Amino acid sequence: MNEFSSVAGARAVNRRNSIWRKVLRKFLADRTGVAGLAAVLVYFVAALGVWCGWWGTDWADLGGSKWEAVSAAHWFGTNIIGQDIFSRAIYATSTAFEVGVVVAVLATIIGGVLGAFAGFFAGSWIDELLLWAMNVLDAIPFYLFVAAVAYSLAGSPYAMHVAMITSFWIGTGRLVRGEVIKLRNMEYIEAAYAIGLSRFMIIFRHILPNTSHILLVQASIAFVSAIKAEVILSFLGIGIRDGMSWGLMIEESTKEVLAGFYNNFIAASLLMFGLVMAFNALSDALQDAMDPRKVA
Amino acid sequence: MRFLVQKYIAGLLLVAVIAFAAGCESDQSVHQVSAPPGLKTYRHAMDQAPTSLDPTQAANVYANHVVVNAYDTLYAYKYLARPYQLKPNLAADFPTVSADGLTYTIRIKPGVRFVDDPCFPDGRGRELLAEDFVYSIKRQFDPKNQPQGAWLWQGRIAGLDEWKAAGSDYDQPASGLRAIDRYTLEIRLTRPYPQLVDTFAQGYSAIVPREAAEKYGKALGVHPVGSGPFRLVSYDSSRVVMERNPYYRQEPVDLQAEGYDPVEQAYTGIEAIEGRSPPFLDRLEIDFITESSAAWTSFNKGNEVQFTTVPIEQIDRVLADKNPIRLRPEYAARFHMYSGLEAGFVFTAFNMDFPELGYSPDPERNRRNKALRCAIIKAYDWEARNQSWYFGLATYFPGIIVPVSPEYDPDLSRDSVTLDVAGARRLLRDNGWTPENLPTLVYGTTAGVTERLFFEQFRAWMRAIGFPHDKVVRKTYATFGDISRAWKRGELPLVAKGWGLDYPDAENTLQLFYGPNGSPGSNDANYRNPEYDRLYERSSVMLASPERTAIYRRMNQMVTDDCVAMTGLSRTRIYLWHKNVVAVPDREIVGGFFLKYVDVLPVAQTRPEG
Repeated sequence: MNEFSSVAGARAVNRRNSIWRKVLRKFLADRTGVAGLAAVLVYFVAALGVWCGWWGTDWADLGGSKWEAVSAAHWFGTNIIGQDIFSRAIYATSTAFEVGVVVAVLATIIGGVLGAFAGFFAGSWIDELLLWAMNVLDAIPFYLFVAAVAYSLAGSPYAMHVAMITSFWIGTGRLVRGEVIKLRNMEYIEAAYAIGLSRFMIIFRHILPNTSHILLVQASIAFVSAIKAEVILSFLGIGIRDGMSWGLMIEESTKEVLAGFYNNFIAASLLMFGLVMAFNALSDALQDAMDPRKVA
Repeated sequence: MRFLVQKYIAGLLLVAVIAFAAGCESDQSVHQVSAPPGLKTYRHAMDQAPTSLDPTQAANVYANHVVVNAYDTLYAYKYLARPYQLKPNLAADFPTVSADGLTYTIRIKPGVRFVDDPCFPDGRGRELLAEDFVYSIKRQFDPKNQPQGAWLWQGRIAGLDEWKAAGSDYDQPASGLRAIDRYTLEIRLTRPYPQLVDTFAQGYSAIVPREAAEKYGKALGVHPVGSGPFRLVSYDSSRVVMERNPYYRQEPVDLQAEGYDPVEQAYTGIEAIEGRSPPFLDRLEIDFITESSAAWTSFNKGNEVQFTTVPIEQIDRVLADKNPIRLRPEYAARFHMYSGLEAGFVFTAFNMDFPELGYSPDPERNRRNKALRCAIIKAYDWEARNQSWYFGLATYFPGIIVPVSPEYDPDLSRDSVTLDVAGARRLLRDNGWTPENLPTLVYGTTAGVTERLFFEQFRAWMRAIGFPHDKVVRKTYATFGDISRAWKRGELPLVAKGWGLDYPDAENTLQLFYGPNGSPGSNDANYRNPEYDRLYERSSVMLASPERTAIYRRMNQMVTDDCVAMTGLSRTRIYLWHKNVVAVPDREIVGGFFLKYVDVLPVAQTRPEG
């Protein structure tokens, strides 16, 4: 074996033994997590189809008469004004994904960055200020906060997103802060100081990437929380304003169930239940797979 | 997986604990709001809350229900007579009218006094005098009050418009409205006004003491000081609580004089109030419950609200038959029922002040706008609306003269209420309308699931004739009062509303399109047609006659031909009330006046179904 082949072999061994490969192996070994991922992908394809205009485009049309039963033409029946419940439920999947993705991504980015700053500058005024902001926002009841934001933004369709992001970054921020306090005292950070890297470079290049296991798990939790919150807020009339969501379908069903018509309620509840369960399973599996103690 | 199961069981337990806690809290809140024991209490339910109890703001049925119970009006409608008939209320008798029909002299009952209130010296209510009526009508012409009722008397009672123009000084007289002495009023008109006495049965004409208006100002809207059968205890957006006015005049009920019909009304047990002086309740509670399902649940619990309309989603469960309307036995055993076509209608008018679809300085655009409005009207599916929302029980009709009006024309062409999507598309195409140049239709609604679905239904109809999805948009308002203000300010291009007749005369709906009544008056459509206005003015001084009916019908046809509104539909009202409640509820013309006649029997005395 020459020198070149020994180096290549060592790299191959390293790749096989890299943390991410270990995480992947551990995740794939978790059947519940994989099933959750598969279900999430099915929902994602449903949402993708709506975004691409393949299906669900007729959610606002009056395709039938009042409260039609399940049939080949209307798989979940129709609502009180004759709209196809299946189309509305599928369209609502895209709403759930849109809200979930936007809120999860932005809340995670904000939480990660602010948490990293708070942790890196722990004990300084920056940390104090960020902790104060977290505590203040934490002290406001979530639904009251959303109502206040919705009112102050004068009916903006993004009021709900803003309120959720403002609330959801805090959990991520606290966890990242704790992790960064631990990381900033490690030798490789001292080495980074020694070679003259700036603080920002250290935070963004060497610390934040090492909190990715927290960010990924927190993002998945924020995604599920955002979907649940969206459904509740839409049900309360302060969520989705123009469009369709499972919350609005459940809101519609409050009158229908009294008349003995359950299709809207069942369709929206089951779809939401399926996605939330699947994402919870995926989130738990990711958490297990990325737990440094278990991976090591 | 085990962790997952544990997590969800814990979650379910948490939900159960929260629900239990919420349940406890809910029970507690019911106890907290319950009436003191021993008081005879009636709990009424209405689907919206009034935004003000000031008579100058009594623009809707919700405010009227409370206002006419807190305040007195000169006249009222007989409790039981159908068709509706006026009767003196605070007035001692019907007016004496001069030969030319221009001067009305009205005597009021002496000895009537306002409720005690800190606005009076020593806090003791003083006697109500003719001058108080003069003051109250003037308030409708004082811009500081932002009144909504001036349209009833504008240009009709001599001197009021001039009084307003001169600065609304209450110490200055209005030539056509004065108190001759303590108990006598004289009203001089600019032209005959056959509906004048009807207007004095409206909440707008309720009598306010000057001391209260001056002391409370805007706050009079939440602090009524009147001489009606009840006095206010509390008022917020969820309920009004009133208690018996101890000073209310003693006037024993004469059922025959009230128009009692034993064949139609004996089942209500109404004979129990014969010879007794109202009010019969110690306490009146009106709950404003926006969600019909919540009102229904409260009604069915048996110990909460005692009156409700039947929610539309319950129709199949509650009714055994729709024609004629009959309750299922399990409901008939528990509740009394009354059903009938409403004295009013729902319609959607175009706000003609929006140049995008109404009047435009450009004649060509005017022509195209009319075609646009006519196309929208053709696309409006009244039958679908009737089936979706009223279980086919409503009656839709062309024009603005409602079926309960004697002037209603059943032979009028039904083209304007017949769905014609192809015709609508053709009309748009022939007049150069394309999806790109169609205007955006802003559809205002209150926040609520039913209103959202109304909008979605309307948007789907508009999409069917070529409106892009994003050109039919919804604007939501928190309360009915908010959207009502938006209509009055002319902020919305579409005015989707209901109108209940103030008095049983088609003039009351025709005035909705009379030019001078434009925003903030009752003509929310801001329709201005000189010929229509001329006919309105001509008919408005005429007594009921075939000639007047013919004019009414011509005006009706004009509104239809000019495509000013998608109209209209009258709903069938189905009222239920507990069997221990002695009442003939009426939300229409009689309105809140019926509440003073309500009595509540101990449950043991409840009459069996007649």
